[in-house]
Amino acid sequence: MAEPALVTLTVDGREVSVPKGTGLVEAALAAGIEIPVFCYEPRLGPPVGACRMCLCEVAPGPLKPQAACTLTVAEGMAVKTALTSEMAADAQNATLEFILVNHPLDCPVCDKGGECPLQDLTFRYGPGSTRMTFPKRTFEKPIPISPTIALDRERCILCYRCTRFSESVAEDGQLVAVERGAASMIATFGDEPYRAPFSGNVIELCPVGALTSTQYRFEGRPWEIQNVPTVCGLCPVGCNISATTREGNVKRILSRNHPEIDEGWLCDKGRFAFQHLQALDRIDDPLRKTDAGFEPVAWNDALDQAELMLRAAGSATVTALSGGETVEQAYGLARLLRVGLDSHGAVLPEEIPDGLSAFRAPLSSIREAASVVVLCDEPVVERAPIVDLWIKAARRAGAEILHELPEQPVEGAVLITDDAERAASLATALGASAAFYLPRTPNGRGVTDAWSCASDGEPTEVEPALVVISGDEAALDPGVRALAARAKAVIGIGMFAESFAGVANLVLPGTSYLERDGTTVNLEGRLQRQRRSVIAPCPDELAWVAKLAERFGVELSPHASTVFEEVSAICYGGISFGHVGEHAPLPPRAIAAGPLPAPTPRPPLAGKGLRLLTYKPLFSGPAVERTPELEFQIPSGEIELAPVDARERKIAAGDQVTVRSNGTSRRLRARLARDLAPGTARMPRSEAAGLHDHVEVSK
Amino acid sequence: MGARNVLLAGAGERDLTKLAEYRAIGGYDGVPKALRLKPEQLIEILLASNLRGRGGAGFPIGRKASLIDRSSSKPKYLVVNADESEPGAFKDREVIARVPHRLIEGCLIAAHAIECKHVFIYIRGEYLAEFEILERAVDEAREAGLFGEVELTVYRGAGAYICGEETALLDSLEGRRGQPRPRPPFPPVQGLFNAPTQINNVCTIATVPSIIELGAEKFAQIGAASSPGTAIFSISGNVVRPGNYELELGTPMRELIYDFAGGIAEGRELKAVIPGGSSVPALSPDQIDVPLDYDSLGAIGTFFGAASLIVVDDRCCMVQLALRSTKFYMHESCGKCTPCREGTRWMVQLLERLEAGRGSYDDIALLRSVGSRMLGKSLCALGDFAVYPVASYLEKWGAEFEAHVELGRCPYDGESTLEGIVAPSDAHAHHEVHA
Amino acid sequence: MSLLFDRIQAVRERFPEGARSAAIPALRLAQEEYGWLPPEALREVADALDLTPAYCHAVASFYDMFHLEPVGKHVVEVCTNLSCALVGAQRVVEAFEEELGVRAGETTADGKVTFRTVECLGGCGYATVVAVDSRYHQHVRPDGVPAIVKGIGGRA
Ligand SMILES: Cc1cc2nc3c(=O)[nH]c(=O)nc-3n(C[C@H](O)[C@H](O)[C@H](O)COP(=O)(O)O)c2cc1C
Ligand code: SF4
Ligand code: FES
Repeated sequence: MAEPALVTLTVDGREVSVPKGTGLVEAALAAGIEIPVFCYEPRLGPPVGACRMCLCEVAPGPLKPQAACTLTVAEGMAVKTALTSEMAADAQNATLEFILVNHPLDCPVCDKGGECPLQDLTFRYGPGSTRMTFPKRTFEKPIPISPTIALDRERCILCYRCTRFSESVAEDGQLVAVERGAASMIATFGDEPYRAPFSGNVIELCPVGALTSTQYRFEGRPWEIQNVPTVCGLCPVGCNISATTREGNVKRILSRNHPEIDEGWLCDKGRFAFQHLQALDRIDDPLRKTDAGFEPVAWNDALDQAELMLRAAGSATVTALSGGETVEQAYGLARLLRVGLDSHGAVLPEEIPDGLSAFRAPLSSIREAASVVVLCDEPVVERAPIVDLWIKAARRAGAEILHELPEQPVEGAVLITDDAERAASLATALGASAAFYLPRTPNGRGVTDAWSCASDGEPTEVEPALVVISGDEAALDPGVRALAARAKAVIGIGMFAESFAGVANLVLPGTSYLERDGTTVNLEGRLQRQRRSVIAPCPDELAWVAKLAERFGVELSPHASTVFEEVSAICYGGISFGHVGEHAPLPPRAIAAGPLPAPTPRPPLAGKGLRLLTYKPLFSGPAVERTPELEFQIPSGEIELAPVDARERKIAAGDQVTVRSNGTSRRLRARLARDLAPGTARMPRSEAAGLHDHVEVSK
Repeated sequence: MGARNVLLAGAGERDLTKLAEYRAIGGYDGVPKALRLKPEQLIEILLASNLRGRGGAGFPIGRKASLIDRSSSKPKYLVVNADESEPGAFKDREVIARVPHRLIEGCLIAAHAIECKHVFIYIRGEYLAEFEILERAVDEAREAGLFGEVELTVYRGAGAYICGEETALLDSLEGRRGQPRPRPPFPPVQGLFNAPTQINNVCTIATVPSIIELGAEKFAQIGAASSPGTAIFSISGNVVRPGNYELELGTPMRELIYDFAGGIAEGRELKAVIPGGSSVPALSPDQIDVPLDYDSLGAIGTFFGAASLIVVDDRCCMVQLALRSTKFYMHESCGKCTPCREGTRWMVQLLERLEAGRGSYDDIALLRSVGSRMLGKSLCALGDFAVYPVASYLEKWGAEFEAHVELGRCPYDGESTLEGIVAPSDAHAHHEVHA
Repeated sequence: MSLLFDRIQAVRERFPEGARSAAIPALRLAQEEYGWLPPEALREVADALDLTPAYCHAVASFYDMFHLEPVGKHVVEVCTNLSCALVGAQRVVEAFEEELGVRAGETTADGKVTFRTVECLGGCGYATVVAVDSRYHQHVRPDGVPAIVKGIGGRA
């Protein structure tokens, strides 16, 4: 693409040249001048020009203040902000006065206080005192618009950021402005909660304290908290986050905009599920199985027992990894087991497709695609939520979204698939400009890398004597559980006793992604750095794995940085830990391997009734289950239907329906999903036991 | 200058809601005539006629048409603004009710000028009878094969003054809350469904057939040089014969008030005229010799607006008038822009306190200041419309505001014509806010 | 399924450019069917147009002619804007209050009539304007009110 032409203008007399099409707010910024804004947020689509905070004097143009946020640069334009224009200064002061006439001055008890744009701008541009002597507009407040979000309508300045997010980014259409004029207010439908995967973003978008997090309410003041830049560890996207901590506890999660990965959005799991760190059943000390259940054991005894168990099983040990480990943790375990015990058997979390690194691209490239081909069995949002937002952004930008592989290669197409086996051949057949495989686990790729580079030994087919289960998700996996049932002994590593009850003989406490240092590899193939935000209630895994390794004569550093450098030398091109920066770059593309065979077609599924799609819900798993505020998000006792199918069966949203197949019948609540293809129905896999792939649904 | 029927020509003698009757007086003859011209020739004619928009701003229709991006690959739309909700205005209603075919003929001609295949007429929801007449006329004309390749949809609003503002109208027509859009992009470039769109008032479009019939030159000779043509003036309030009068532009206001409308009713004295619908600065009795055209009214600090005169006699308290008017604009503010949403409410609060006799001189000063801080600050002019009249009352009848402070009560002492009306009532639509 | 659904589909087809445009006509149809717009009605419209109920509520609540609270079988509206007010709309309002036994904004006990004051109806030259179920009565004076009340519902 040709470089866009430059346009030269002045802002407060400073000359600046910016690409054609640049907005005035950005152009001013390029000149080092800030134009104050409230409603302006380019990530939400075209500017709306509602708040009138950005009024400036612009020549040529009408002799009245202009909303800078809705204008783009023109050659020779002269922009004067409040710094140099009396008209602009008065206009901005007037806007603030109007905003404040009905805004309660409850800053001392407002969660936003100290980090509030309205507070800051009032300090800089606003009137010093109020001329408003009437009672302010009152509303019932605060009202929970969901268990995670509280709305204080009195504080709302009607910038429409939240509703634009709901309508034009998440496209859930659930948060809206109702009524008109001075009576306008933000609302959900009736008493229904804002139940959508990305709802929490509106908290961060709100420029005042109108939308606040119920988890964070009254939990900390800006001067008492620390923000740690890290990466979310709950799905393979790896959104960049800041963990706000106070007195050693995580209090909230904020986004830390990585424009190529998340554009500053987070899903509600990533935002709210940190509560699981403080779950009551968190394991702080090692546990040993007794007839009466688990009992705590001292660390030295636990390590002795683990050593005994490992020695007894030797190479007949199988390791099951969850994919939630850091690269370093997985490598540490691999060194211990593969080098120390010569035991190479593993249940790896993922099958990582070969050859996809030739199609590597940042997630943001999805938005630029001419068409996006989505070949997924599970809803994208459930597996890699942010990818769903990128697909929506692509559609808004004019891309065609296809759910079947076109017969001919398509120029500028991007492939998104959860079919590991066929991913590369599908991408080749499509002639994709970029392709993404959606792994099931957050760091499946990194864990696989780490495991494979720890040793060259080959696994031998043995009946497992010992199974080492790393992570709660692995311990809850039916396949792993079946394997464990066949073993004589099981060592678990994890956070919650319940995950290992009846499975493990010995459980060693695990840390959460917010409690450790290390690296992960996201679905793009990008190495990112997780930073310890808070100290775990138990020692770091690497520390005791290193100790155990020593007993088996394996040298292993307890420090993530040193371990990473060992791994990096083998599989990440030798980059240093320090180089995996706060905003990690994407490694370059690999050269495409030779031509790939055409993808093997899959047999069409036929049957009577609706085809049942099952999936692992985003809102599921040990972290979500331990976050009471997210309970309402867990799809339970529900079946999703396409509106057409529901109508045909005279089913309305919320109706109880009977779902039949294979001689099994289930009573479930119907939910209408506009994204569901007619002829299909959808429910969580964990609830679909006994149902076939086609079901009859009736009222 | 004086009365002249162009828009309403023939309607006194025949029932022009019937296609046959309208055709009998040469109706729809303009369409084939126009279709024989190239769009650019048609635009030339519109430019030469200097027909200025009757919706308020007086922008020449030819200029508007020439701004349409006809090279765009998107469809082009013509949207007729029949939302007429400005207090005091009821002229569009008369055109629709009496000469619907003239409006439709105008649509077909104007559509050709901008290569438009789909015309929308957005009519305010309250005009049910007029909607029915218009729909029948549209059906009749369509069935008679007069539409050619053009489709015409009559779209009913649902009760929101702001939808008369052209970009809010477009949002409403797209099925949204009718809130104004930022400009640029202007509708001729990016309007309805993001496509090039021309928006005109009912009277503007209904005048187009006469331009084709008379030729631009002859048309331009009607009325005032700077404002050719006729306009239907709605006159209401305290006059003997309120109603609609079609006059040549440039006719003196005094003639309309005293000759056509019969002067002030019940032998009272004239106190004020709000000349363009309730949204413009009012004139005092010494100002009514002004010719009724865009430039003359502009020269004395008011606007042609909706060509709708509200005549106020000496029984009306100007604070009450200000309050009633401002309540309307508060009720109708769409809520998008801060200054309009908050300012209208604040003005109502101040005016209520003044009217109740509890206000101070500071309140009067504050009212002025709030008004001036609202002016020109929002996406559309609704906020300005709230301020213009009130600012003029303060300027010309300021003593009455002061008397409220001085006496600690309304000097009309319960005898003002608006007494009672201004009391708070929950009776309006659901989003009433109490100031 | 429901008749309303089919009627909305017919409206929807008239707006190939965007189904959203059918929102206002569809809400009007729903209001005709239900008398007002209860949550079920908003849901039905949403389903028929692939919109969300919240969206439909957002739109409906913007416009004065949509009722989000139950109203009487008939709605009587008196214009109280400037032109009507200048020639005595208040007296007309009072006459209706007297005749109907309710205040503006209320519904008669038998649920028959909701009475409300409204903004300019565009009949300023024929003041006072009263709309009964959207049909205009013009030049209404207080002494004409009893006849109007008697005739409510009498003419469609
Ligand atoms: C608040 C507001 C309300 C308006 N209401 C109307 C209206 O009811 N009818 C109308 O034709 N124009 C109205 N206008 C003017 C329109 O925005 C637009 O200028 C006009 O329809 C253009 O038509 P014209 O060029 O034929 O005058 C209104 C403008 C504003 C700011
Ligand atoms: S709640 Fe916050 S984000 Fe939403 S409109 Fe109000 S101020 Fe803006
Ligand atoms: S930031 Fe420009 S109007 Fe809000």
